[in-house]
Amino acid sequence: MNTWLLSILILSPLLGVLVLLFTPSQDEKSIKWIGILGTLFPLGTALVTLSAFNKSGEGLQLAEKFQWVSYEVFQSNGDVSYPIFYEVGVNGLSMVLILLTTVVSVLAAIASFSIKKDWKSYFILFFLLEMGMIGVFAAQNLFLFFIFFEITLIPMFFLIGRWGYLEKEKAAYSFLIYNGVGSAILLIAFVAMFMKTGTMNFEQLAYTFSLPQSELNDMHITKNFKMGMLIALLLAFAVKLPVAPLHSWMVRVHVQAPPPIVMLHSGILLKIGAYGLIVFGAGLFPDQFESLAFIIGLFGVINLLYGAFLALTQRDMKRVLAYSSVSHMGIVLIGLAALNEAGMTGAVFQVVSHGLISALLFFLVGVLYERAGSSLLKDFGGVAKRMPIFAGVLLAGGLASLGLPGMSGFISEFMAFLGLFETMPVLAAVGTLGLILTAVYVLRAVLAITFGTEKELTNAHDLSSTERIPAFILLAAILFIGLYPAWLSDMLRPTLDSILLGLGG
Amino acid sequence: MSSVPLAAYLTLALILFCIGLFGALTKRNAVIVLISIELMLNAVNINLVAFAKYSINPGLTGQIFSLFTITVAAAEAAVGLAILIALYRNRQTVNVDEMDTMKR
Amino acid sequence: MLQNSWLIPLFPLLSFVLLLIFRKSKGEGTAWIGVLLTGLSLILSLGVWIAVWQGDGIKVEGTWFEIGERAITIGYEVNPLNALMLVIVSLVSFLVHLYSKGYMHGDERFPVFFAYLGLFSFAMLGLVLSPNLLQLYMFWELVGLGSFLLIGFYYFKSEAKAAAKKAFVMTRIGDVGLFIGMVLLFWQVGSFEYDEIFASVRNGDISSGMLTLTALCIFVGAIGKSGQLPLHTWLPDAMEGPTPVSALIHAATMVAAGVYLVAAMYPLFQASETALTVVAVVGGVTAIFAASIGLMQKDIKRVLAYSTVSQLGYMMLALGASGYVAGIFHLTTHAFFKALLFLAAGSVIHAVHTQNIDEMGGLWKKLRLTGPLFLIGALAISGVPLLSGFFSKDEILASTYADGRYGLFWLAVVAAFMTAFYMFRLFFLVFTGKPRGDQSGVHESPSVMTLPMIVLGVLAIVAGYLNTAWFGTFLTDFLAGGPVELAHGDHHGPSWIPIVATAASFLGIGLAYLIYKKGTLSRDWITRSLPGLSNVIYNKWYVDEGYDATFVKGTKGLSKLGVLFDKYIVDGLVAAVVSGVQGLSKVGSRIQNGQVQTYGTFAIFGIVILLLIVALTGGYFT
Repeated sequence: MNTWLLSILILSPLLGVLVLLFTPSQDEKSIKWIGILGTLFPLGTALVTLSAFNKSGEGLQLAEKFQWVSYEVFQSNGDVSYPIFYEVGVNGLSMVLILLTTVVSVLAAIASFSIKKDWKSYFILFFLLEMGMIGVFAAQNLFLFFIFFEITLIPMFFLIGRWGYLEKEKAAYSFLIYNGVGSAILLIAFVAMFMKTGTMNFEQLAYTFSLPQSELNDMHITKNFKMGMLIALLLAFAVKLPVAPLHSWMVRVHVQAPPPIVMLHSGILLKIGAYGLIVFGAGLFPDQFESLAFIIGLFGVINLLYGAFLALTQRDMKRVLAYSSVSHMGIVLIGLAALNEAGMTGAVFQVVSHGLISALLFFLVGVLYERAGSSLLKDFGGVAKRMPIFAGVLLAGGLASLGLPGMSGFISEFMAFLGLFETMPVLAAVGTLGLILTAVYVLRAVLAITFGTEKELTNAHDLSSTERIPAFILLAAILFIGLYPAWLSDMLRPTLDSILLGLGG
Repeated sequence: MSSVPLAAYLTLALILFCIGLFGALTKRNAVIVLISIELMLNAVNINLVAFAKYSINPGLTGQIFSLFTITVAAAEAAVGLAILIALYRNRQTVNVDEMDTMKR
Repeated sequence: MLQNSWLIPLFPLLSFVLLLIFRKSKGEGTAWIGVLLTGLSLILSLGVWIAVWQGDGIKVEGTWFEIGERAITIGYEVNPLNALMLVIVSLVSFLVHLYSKGYMHGDERFPVFFAYLGLFSFAMLGLVLSPNLLQLYMFWELVGLGSFLLIGFYYFKSEAKAAAKKAFVMTRIGDVGLFIGMVLLFWQVGSFEYDEIFASVRNGDISSGMLTLTALCIFVGAIGKSGQLPLHTWLPDAMEGPTPVSALIHAATMVAAGVYLVAAMYPLFQASETALTVVAVVGGVTAIFAASIGLMQKDIKRVLAYSTVSQLGYMMLALGASGYVAGIFHLTTHAFFKALLFLAAGSVIHAVHTQNIDEMGGLWKKLRLTGPLFLIGALAISGVPLLSGFFSKDEILASTYADGRYGLFWLAVVAAFMTAFYMFRLFFLVFTGKPRGDQSGVHESPSVMTLPMIVLGVLAIVAGYLNTAWFGTFLTDFLAGGPVELAHGDHHGPSWIPIVATAASFLGIGLAYLIYKKGTLSRDWITRSLPGLSNVIYNKWYVDEGYDATFVKGTKGLSKLGVLFDKYIVDGLVAAVVSGVQGLSKVGSRIQNGQVQTYGTFAIFGIVILLLIVALTGGYFT
């Protein structure tokens, strides 16, 4: 059973696709239910995987490996055959992210009530997207990673471009072009690494690159090559994360895409950037990563402050949240740049925590848009009167976002800064300015909606019982991680330790 | 006999080819373009014959091959002229500048 | 008893959860949930206090999570200092719960108010019980949340919204200072534990520069929370919240958390002379600065708010001047008499439905209980002998003098004079003279409101006898059991100090009497003689306006600049790349003109260039 578990998990969203193909497209009600149930199956599989996963175990678990493609290259000294494997596996880090993916997917599917047309194709694309996301985190070689990485792009493009708001096409193209460029850089880097080393497996690559320079010279791998590869990878994932000034596509997507898709996008797709930075950046080229740490940290602080400053004067709640995502991704970079256990853990915590928080906040914005047909701050005021639960959850989400203790945001910020203060105290001190600014913009936006004199809304009823499910589950998860971080940090420790070993920290 | 070196043949062929190329790329009259193409083909023929004569083990392959070329060139000229006439009947011109349907 | 002290904060938390669940219930019996549960906390706190009095103490900790090899722990600790704080907090919280039952009568979000009070009490008690800096920091922020929610309780009022936001952001600025100090200390010591931090300080493991830096960073946190200069502006605005909240949070407990923090980290401060001086100077300057603003305010709660800021400055001054016991002592007495004053003010507001003292007057006869109780509070805070404020203020002055900070000493004496003056200005304007507003429906508050005031009134009188030179220094002996080494056992400097202090307070009361009761002196003789200065004071030294013009405008400006940068530079660059690509493709499509001859030409040139490259580089086949 366990030998196939991971493949079943990756392919599990396809079951929903299969069922949907045989459902008449007019039958909206059953499609909706299939949509929700179809995401429950991957969640169940992910939970089974979690139970099969040894939390304190080192290295890769539940690994599968088959030869997939093989081709031969004619060389003067005989033919060399290059096999390409299908290899998947999970470690603590990818297990956490897969779990996050399946959970957020379920909630996003429930939140899809705001979708008004073409349910069938919507959910088919939705499932494909979910498969791509799970696959990205489970893939254990460059080839498979790249394939799944690309699989996420295409459904996303259509989901934005077809079901989004007014300027959806522009946003979709913007998304595709930026990410296409990122993928191109990624592909070039992957091909170059494969050519030099002859392997695509993450662990073998890491081993090869960690060999002493004298042996690497035989493979024509110079220090400059490694540095160049690292920079290419950083660039590719910086687009995804996104790192300022490569963020404008992401703001557009956040504003234009439908709320459930933004939940997925902000909750998980952005995290692929962070995952890539950890696995490829710090994992494959630790020495080079170390020498670039200051620049990464600098970019982290810039991201944090830049996003916060821009979020301060936005008039649209969605844009506030979009820039707050930019800002919060800065904390991931800050944690990574710290090059120590605290920082690294903080970065991963921020990945998970921001995934949950932004999913919650975008869900709430979706609810708001559903009620009022707008997300401009000036159209709201005193919502707490008619929608007290909504207002309470929104405030709680905002507080989590600004890092209130007891919620997941605090743990991640705390650990990321704790880490950075050890290695670069001055930079970290500048970064703490971001904590103040975050409080300012979050409260400004949240209070503008919930507090103040009441403005008439066309349809101001509080969260319905279906809407409460995602809101309360996300809030509970945020509180759980905030109160009991050991659950997550214990699972991550073996993976992060092995990465840190490479970093010599 | 053998006082004329291979280089001289090749130079002649080169000059002929360049004239043909220049004509084919710059002339506006389709007839002249066709004639220029013939010139280039003939430059090739000269090369073929010259190499056949001056190679390490001389043979008749080159001459035979150039005979084929001449035949094909004649056929090509015939087809080309036929197309040209058809075009002229349709468009009332043999100016290549006006034959830009590929762009549209 | 001590083993169960972790339950103390959990009762109010339970109250918070229960009341949120029952937030829709219409009856006002829900208040009893809060009252009962905080009552349990109070009983337990008293038990803990008695146990500590007998010399016990406890510290229990467990691992929360691990960072590498370092375990981050949480737990609880009871030592003399926080046992005292527990009693103060749970007592005031209990009384305020009871009082609110009457004060909030008829409010449509009645249960929510009590839920928030519960959340705040939980956070405050948790803060006090924390055995390490990280846990303190977490509760510190939660306390801020409670304060934020309660200030913004009347969420539909835009002033309340602005005040809540301001309170959160201003204290957050301080919190970031605390955060930095805490993290820096962690990398010095390797732990957040108080014990280990103090051990490192004692062993001299930390360089003196680092000691000063971390102490100052932590003090920034205290400045933010305790409304000290220059982060004091949120506290007067926080009066937008319901009055019981002002009594609980913005007088007795949360704002005292800054003082508590400095006291709890005292060994660190003691190790750095610079840090102590900064604490003393900030405290002393705040004391007189806020007192001066209090002289001219018209809102009854704002006068009390500035008075709170000023008294907190006193406590800081005491701590900075090595008067550890004096600071804590004043914290204790202040908690009682200031809570009393706020509750009495709430009772007045409850009766006349206004906060403007120009619209009150002559209430002494109508509020037969509130009036005398307010008088007790005013006498206590003014430092009239035999009441609690006299003893604690006297100790502060004595320790400031003993520490050799004469400048600050005289500053504090002037502040004491001002305090007496503005408190009695308030008293005379509110309770004596002719009614100046509509007072038709005025009646005394119900007994749930007066009862807590009476308890506090008694405490405001007797709390001073905790620590006197005449009857015994119970508090000093009690606190000596804590981790702080009390360097100067006895601060009782020259015997003329109590006389000076008493003279200052009587002078202030007398002046207020002459101006506002007898009318011997015209009310506006200062205003007329010094129009510039009084205008500046009336406008609170233009601090708010100054911040508005610099920090707020600056941040907004930077933000606008960022938006422009985003729009024109970032998006502009993208647009430039796009138009570049489009331009290139236009060139490309122009080449694609349908002319075979052009294609041929380019093909030929291409071959020529390739051949040239091969020829010049020596070719591929070399």
